[in-house]
Amino acid sequence: MRRLLVRSSLRHLGGHPWLTALSLLGIALGVAVVVSIDLASGSALRAFERSTDAVAGRATHQVVGGSSGLDERVYRDLRLRRDAPVSAPVVEGHVQAAVGDRRTLTVLGVDPFAEAPFRDYAKGEAVGDVGALLTEPGTVLLSARAAQSLGITSGGELPVRVEGVEKRLRVAGLLTPSDEDTARAVEALVLTDVSTAQEVLGQVGRLTRVDLRIRDEAEAQRLQAALPTGTELVRASARAGTVEQMTRAFRTNLTALSLLALVVGMFLIYNTMTFSVVQRRGLLGRLRAVGITRGELFALVLGEAAVLGAVGTVAGLLLGVLLARGLVGLVTQTFNDLYFVVSVRALALEPFTLAKGLVLGLGATLVAALVPAWEAARSAPVTTMRRSTLEDVSRSRAPRLAVLGLVVLAAGTGMLTWPTQALLPAYGGLFSVLLGSALLVPWVTERLSSVAALPLGSTFGLLGRMAARSVRTSLSRTAVALAALMVAVATTVGVGLMVSSFRGTVVSWLDTSLQADVFISPPSLVARRGGATLVPGLEERLRSTPGVAASSTLRVASARVDGVPTDLLAIDFTRTQARPYRFKEGNPETVWRELESSPDALLVSEPFSFHRRVRVGDTVRLTTDRGPHDFRVVGVYFDYGSDVGTMLMPRTTYERWFDDRGVSGVALYAAPGQDVDALVASVRERAGDSQALLVRANRSLRQASLEVFDRTFTITQVLRLLAIGVAFVGVLSALMSLQLERARELAVLRATGLTPGQLWGLVSLQTGLLGLLAGLFSVPLGMALAYVLVHVINQRSFGWTLRLAVSPETLVQAVLLALVASALAGLYPAWKMARANPALALREE
Amino acid sequence: MPPSDTPPLVELRDVTKAYAEGDTVREVLSGVQLSLHRGEFVVLLGRSGSGKSTLLNLISGIDVPTRGEVRVDGRNLGSLSERERTLLRRERVGFIFQAFNLLPTLTVEENVRLPLELNGHGAAESGAKARALLERVGLRERARSFPDRLSGGEQQRVAVARALAHAPPLLLADEPTGNLDEATGRQVLDLLEGLTRQGNACALVVTHEPALVSRADRVLSMEGGRLVEREHARREAR
Repeated sequence: MRRLLVRSSLRHLGGHPWLTALSLLGIALGVAVVVSIDLASGSALRAFERSTDAVAGRATHQVVGGSSGLDERVYRDLRLRRDAPVSAPVVEGHVQAAVGDRRTLTVLGVDPFAEAPFRDYAKGEAVGDVGALLTEPGTVLLSARAAQSLGITSGGELPVRVEGVEKRLRVAGLLTPSDEDTARAVEALVLTDVSTAQEVLGQVGRLTRVDLRIRDEAEAQRLQAALPTGTELVRASARAGTVEQMTRAFRTNLTALSLLALVVGMFLIYNTMTFSVVQRRGLLGRLRAVGITRGELFALVLGEAAVLGAVGTVAGLLLGVLLARGLVGLVTQTFNDLYFVVSVRALALEPFTLAKGLVLGLGATLVAALVPAWEAARSAPVTTMRRSTLEDVSRSRAPRLAVLGLVVLAAGTGMLTWPTQALLPAYGGLFSVLLGSALLVPWVTERLSSVAALPLGSTFGLLGRMAARSVRTSLSRTAVALAALMVAVATTVGVGLMVSSFRGTVVSWLDTSLQADVFISPPSLVARRGGATLVPGLEERLRSTPGVAASSTLRVASARVDGVPTDLLAIDFTRTQARPYRFKEGNPETVWRELESSPDALLVSEPFSFHRRVRVGDTVRLTTDRGPHDFRVVGVYFDYGSDVGTMLMPRTTYERWFDDRGVSGVALYAAPGQDVDALVASVRERAGDSQALLVRANRSLRQASLEVFDRTFTITQVLRLLAIGVAFVGVLSALMSLQLERARELAVLRATGLTPGQLWGLVSLQTGLLGLLAGLFSVPLGMALAYVLVHVINQRSFGWTLRLAVSPETLVQAVLLALVASALAGLYPAWKMARANPALALREE
Repeated sequence: MPPSDTPPLVELRDVTKAYAEGDTVREVLSGVQLSLHRGEFVVLLGRSGSGKSTLLNLISGIDVPTRGEVRVDGRNLGSLSERERTLLRRERVGFIFQAFNLLPTLTVEENVRLPLELNGHGAAESGAKARALLERVGLRERARSFPDRLSGGEQQRVAVARALAHAPPLLLADEPTGNLDEATGRQVLDLLEGLTRQGNACALVVTHEPALVSRADRVLSMEGGRLVEREHARREAR
C-alpha cells in the first residue's frame, strides 16, 4: 500500500517541478547559510588554535608578565633555582612579509637548547644551514610551504615589516615537517633564536613568556610564590579558552543571523507543504474514503517533507561548503580586524558541523510540515464537500487565529522583557513574535482585501474586484503564502535596520571620539586594536610640530584582568583639554577630576562593564608590573571599537604601575587658523624615514574606521543578501503556486471569453496585491524584529547600547522586493495559462 | 434473491442524523430502519437533498449518526474508533462516486490496485487482479494511462473496477451514472450489477434514474428524512 501512496506523492511533487524546485532551493539556502557560517568561523578558530598549539607546544604552564612581557632575567633566575622546572624562553610576535602576498607571519624566538621538551619541529626536520641560527644574527627558519609561496629559497632574504619598520632576515633553512598537521601549524611561522626575535620585534631584553613543564599543583604553587613581582604563572590551556571567549559574541551573533535564515526557510517549507496539502484536499478526501487512516495520511505528508528535506539538505550542505569557501575570507578578515592575527589557508570540513546542518535541515523541514500533516490527517472523507465550505471554515477560523496570535505575541513580548542576560529567552521571544504575527495574517488579510476591492474595482473594473475578492475567497491558501512572505521579507528589513542602526550609532560615536585634527600611528596587524609602538623619541618630535595647539598620546597595551588579557588604553591628557568620551555611567564633571587625581582609578568601556559585570564603584584587579592591584571603576564610557571591552587610565597612572614606556599613537590638535592638510604634510616630514607611519587627518581616520566597521559587517550584509534571496524565492514560489493552482478557474475564465491579455492583467493584479500586502505587513514586523535585534539580542551578546534608526530606504526596499518578486511570480502562470488550451485545463481534475 | 434467514450485512436501527445550521437544527434522517443482505442489488431513490448521500456516509462509517445504531457485518460502528471504522471501510466497502474521484496521480491500473494493496495483497498479485478486472471492464489497453486522459464513461468504469477490486461484501454507489450519457450509463450499470451478483455482494445504489428500478431486487426511497420501501419492485416493473 505504501508503495502506491509514495508513488502518488512523488508524482504530485514531480507534477509541480517549479514549486518543488523552489521549495528545495528554500531549504537548501537555509541550510547552506547555517553550515557555511559555522564552517567559516570554525575554520578560522581552528587555524588560530592550531597555530597557538604549535607555538605553545607541550608546555603545561607559562610565566607571563605585564603589558610589555617580562624581563629576560626572570628566566635566568628560574634556571638557576635548585628545583628549577623544565623551562624554555619564548619571544613571540607578528610581522608582515614585505614580499609575495604580504601575509602575516608569526615570529617565534626560542632557545634551541631548551626547546626539546616543548616543540618537536624546533629541533630537526629542517633543510639548510640550521647551525647559522646560533652563530649568525638575523637568520631564521621558514616553513618550506611559506617559502615557496613567497618565492624565497634557503639562504635567501626575507624582508618583513614590523610596526612600519622594514627589516631583513636571512632564511638559513626550511622547515619540512613530515606530517600534514605540523606542516599546517608551522605554515605561517618564522622560527629563530631569542635574540634575533627580540631584535626584530623591538623587545630587546624582554621575553613574551617562559614555557614550563610542571608536574603537579604543589610545584606550581611553590613556583608562583617565588616569582618576582609583576609576573604570573598561568596554565597554558587558558589561552585557547580566552580566544574562544573573545570571539564568542561575534560567533553567536553570526549563528543567530544564520538561524534566522533557517527560520525563514522553515516558513517557506511550511508554505510549500501546506500548499501541497491544500491543493490535494480532494485527493486526500478520496484516499480517506477508500480507507486510508488518518495516521497513514499524516505519515504520508511527513514522508513527503522528509524527502524534500533530505534532498534540500544535501544540496544545502554542498552549497554551504561552497559558500563557506567564500565566507572564510570574510570571517578571517573580521577576526583580524577585531581580535587577533590569524591566517586561514584551507577550510576545515568539520563532520560535526555537517551533521548539525543535516539534523537542522531535516528537523526544520519536519517541524514545519507538522501542521500541514495534521491538516491532511484531518481531511474529511466526505467527498461532496465543496471548496466554498472549506473557505468558509478558514474564514471563520481567522478571528480565532488572530486572538491566538495576540496571545503568542504577548508571550513573546514577555520573554523579551524578562530581566535576564540569557540569549535563549530572547531567541524564544523573537520566534514567538514571528509566529504571533503570522497568526494575525489571515484576519488582517481578510479585512484589507475587502477594503482593497473598492479602489481596485473603481480603477480596473470587474477584473480589479475579482482580483481583490479572490484573495479573500481563497484565504486558506493566500493567508499561508502571505504569512510566509511577510516573515521572509521582514527578516531582511530587520537585519537591514539593525546594520544601519549600528552604523549610525558608530558614526555618531566617531564624531564624539575623534576630535583631534591629525592622528599618527604605526600600522598595526589588528586594525581595531593598534598596539604597535612608535620608535623612541619620535613622539616628542611629532607633538612639537609647529602649528600644533594641543596633543595627546595613546598607548594600547594588554593587561591581565583576573588572568584574562584585556586591552588597556593609557592616555596622556596633560597637553590637552579635550576629553572625547561620553559616559554611560558616571558624572562627566567629576569623573575626570577623580581619574586624574587618583593613582588607582580607571574607566571601563560599556562592553567590559557588561561582560565582567562591573559598575561604577566596583574594583578591577589588574596584574601590573608592581604585582596585582585593585583599581576603582569611576566611569563606564561608550565604546564601539571593541566588543570584548577595554579599560582606560591616564598615562601617569599607567606609568606608575607598568614599566612599558611605548606610545601607540599621537593625536594632534591644530592651532586656530592652522591648515590641517599642511599640518599633515609637516608631520610626515618630521617623521622622516625612521618608521612608516599612518598620518591621517580626522576625516580620513573617520573614513578608515568606518571602512573597518563596514568590513566587519560585510558578512552580515552577505547574510542579509542571502535572506533576501530566500525571501525572493519564497515570494516567487508561494505566489506562483497560488496561480498555478487556479489553473482550472482561469481556464473557465478563458473559456468564458477572457483574452490572454486580460488574463495576464488579472493574474498580475492578484499577485501584485498579494506582494503589496506582504510588503506592507513586513514593514511593522521588520521594525519589531530590528528593535529586538538591536535592543535585546545585540545588547545581550555584546553589551552595546545602540540607537535604533529606521531608514526609509530599507523599508521601501522591502516593499519593492515583495512587489518585484510578485510581479515575476505572476509571469510564468499567466504565460502558461494564456497559452494553454482552456479545454485541456478544464478536463484536468 | 435475498436470503432473509442469514444475518443482515448492513443494519440500521432507528438512525437519526441532524445538522446544526446556525441556531436551527435540521434533521436529514429521522428514525431510519434498514437491513441489507448479501446478494441484494438495492436502489435508493430520492430528490436532491433528501439525505441519500448522508445515508451512504453513515453506512460507510464516514459519518456518525446523531442517534441510533449502524451495524455492518454485525459490528456496531458507533462503538468503533475512527481508525477502526476506516479499516472496516477499507476491507468491507467499495465506493463509487458521481464524480468518479479517481486519484489523478496514479495510473488507471494503480488506481485499481490501490484497494488491493491497502488490504495487504502483494504487488504482483494485485497487478494481475487489476489487469484482469480492467479486462472485464474493457479498459485493459488503458492500464498505463492517467485518469485525465480518459472519457467520463471510461473513468467511471475504472471507478467500478476499483470499488470491486478487493471483492468487498458491500458496494455503495452514489449516483454512478449522474455524469454519464444514457448509453454509457447503461454500460456502467450492467457492469456494476454483473460484478455484484457474481461476487455475491450487496450493492446499494443511489440514483435519480427510474430505469434502474427494473434491475433492483429492492427499491427504497427517501421521503422527508424517512426511508420507504417499495415491495417487490423488480417484479412490479416486470
